[in-house]
Amino acid sequence: MIGWVGGIVITSKDYTADIPEKLLTVDKLGKKYGGRWIFRGISFQLGVGDRLVILGRNGAGKSTLLKTIAGLTSRTEGAVAFPDGDSRHVLGLCALEQSVYGQLTVEEHLQLTADLRGCPARVDELLQQVNLDYARTRAASQLSTGMKARLKLAMAIQPDPFVLLLDEPGAGLDEEGRNLVEKITADQAKRGCLIVATNDPLERRLANLELQLV
Amino acid sequence: MGIAVVWSYTVPDANKFQVPGMARIFLWHFPCPMLAVFLLIYAAWCALRISSRVTIKPTFSVQPETDHDQKMLWDLRSVAAMEIGYIFCLLTMATGILFSEVQWGDWWSWDPRQTSFLIVLLIYAAYFALRFAYTDAGKKAAYSGAYALATILPTLFLVFVFPRIPYIKNLSLHPSDSIMKGLITGQYGQCVCYILALFTVLAVYLFKLRMRVGTLETNLEKHDGNLENSGGSPAVTGVVRSVHLP
Amino acid sequence: MKEWQIEMRSQSGLITGLLFSVVTVYAISFATLNAKLPGTVIAGLLWIALLFSGAASLPRIFLAEEEQGTADLLRLVARPHAVFWGKSIFNCLQAVVTGLILSFLYIGFTSKAVSVPWLFTVCIAMGSLSLAGAVTLCGAIAAQAANRSVLSAAIAVPLLLPLVALGVSGLRVALNDGAISDGYVAAVGLTGYAFATLATGPYIFAAVWKT
Repeated sequence: MIGWVGGIVITSKDYTADIPEKLLTVDKLGKKYGGRWIFRGISFQLGVGDRLVILGRNGAGKSTLLKTIAGLTSRTEGAVAFPDGDSRHVLGLCALEQSVYGQLTVEEHLQLTADLRGCPARVDELLQQVNLDYARTRAASQLSTGMKARLKLAMAIQPDPFVLLLDEPGAGLDEEGRNLVEKITADQAKRGCLIVATNDPLERRLANLELQLV
Repeated sequence: MGIAVVWSYTVPDANKFQVPGMARIFLWHFPCPMLAVFLLIYAAWCALRISSRVTIKPTFSVQPETDHDQKMLWDLRSVAAMEIGYIFCLLTMATGILFSEVQWGDWWSWDPRQTSFLIVLLIYAAYFALRFAYTDAGKKAAYSGAYALATILPTLFLVFVFPRIPYIKNLSLHPSDSIMKGLITGQYGQCVCYILALFTVLAVYLFKLRMRVGTLETNLEKHDGNLENSGGSPAVTGVVRSVHLP
Repeated sequence: MKEWQIEMRSQSGLITGLLFSVVTVYAISFATLNAKLPGTVIAGLLWIALLFSGAASLPRIFLAEEEQGTADLLRLVARPHAVFWGKSIFNCLQAVVTGLILSFLYIGFTSKAVSVPWLFTVCIAMGSLSLAGAVTLCGAIAAQAANRSVLSAAIAVPLLLPLVALGVSGLRVALNDGAISDGYVAAVGLTGYAFATLATGPYIFAAVWKT
């Protein structure tokens, strides 16, 4: 595959041969909003173990790209393909602007998403994994920003998705939280693939592939 | 159109009406709601195609390149049908109001037919209000298409069912079941058919014109987009490459 | 269930709805100077109150999701039919309860006798169900627009005017101001409208849910 980035031709034909299985195929994806192209011509394939980081300046379209891949916003051109199965089980997304229900407790959030997805809730396991066990009966409105971020992470990994999308996962997290993200990333790489959109150079090292939006 | 105007003046007066001479406004009034309702149903059909996964090649000269372009083309058809249907709705109200003043002595008689068609006008107006509320073309097409589908049932009820409810029918001054009772015959019938055919041709012409305008707007937008891409602020793109960190 | 849990904890919607019902009933009685009005006028005023209270409060169920930022979470984890039915059922319950309370309060204030109680109840219940179904769909359609609160009411009210016509023609018969045959026609019409709205709503919603 040949690409064009700022006038420099890059050949990357070798990387496609390294991917053992196609978990996510993105083909010439483009999104237009209000007559202006946000991004265009994005193509890649990811398999088990692939960890892609999307880099770009503020306003480059990283979050929009993630949302388009997740199907939360319609694409203008191109295609996105997942393995066969319900996208609610195949895909998990943890986004910065995603919010939680203030009146529901942490436990109720996980139960709600499990009921709606039709997958096991795994409340105890997930709360231990994201270190929120002590706050399971606390209403979401009483959680700090970092705690809400952990809750969103727990909801994203609940169905053991093949494809995990994280939008600036480290935002609002302390060092312990960042270590948690690293651990989740490593776990995800064993069973699926991961896409992280970030500006943080520390998060860049979570990945073995990078996509620079220019 | 000139032939229609002259012919409408030459038909005999309708003796059963209060002002027989002015009853010929009916010749211009009758085709308008038929076309308005037909265009609303057609707009809903095009709206259904926006969300349909079955791709049908449109018959116009512009061939859509992508699924998105296909959806936008169906949206253009839907909005064109709605806009022209709205014109015929307004003509229906205008001719109806004239008829009301001449025959019943009031510009607005709160006749059930008049009132129900005013509600149809309000439904059309709400559709346009919804379109103006969205700036993103995809969302505008999807949501206004959904609303067009949701309006079919109330519109059919208001035009065909409501005026025929027994209690309502007894209150109405508006002539009803004229065709079913065979009251529109002879020169009146021929003139009405001619004007209906004329208005249908006019509607098709306006529709094609609106489609052409919409297609030009889309092409202009694409051209502007291409200019933006080539002239210094290109669309963001990128290529995936392996990361080799020490 | 989620809507019910949130409502029971905040109770803002329930209390606001009940307060609005009481205030509306009082305002109408006050505005008519407690005059003895015929059944048709009472039915019309009641339906106007139901229409505007429903159009103002029921779309909140979708608008609040967009405003709070939780809509994307629902889009990710839930099927569109499940979302629509969940919210519609909640809105239907809220509309029926509010409608019955408002109408009984009003009948109490006006001291108007209900001569056909079953028709009265059917008109209010079926009318409220139709109202909830249509307004829920309009709320979903307008949820991502800029002026969503006003827009959802503006697009819902024209769709509901035929419902009001049927509702008034049924309710006036129940208030002893018309022939019972007209009441049967109205009851059948309202029931059919409710079924049609709730049957087609999920499919229209599913087409626009992830846009």
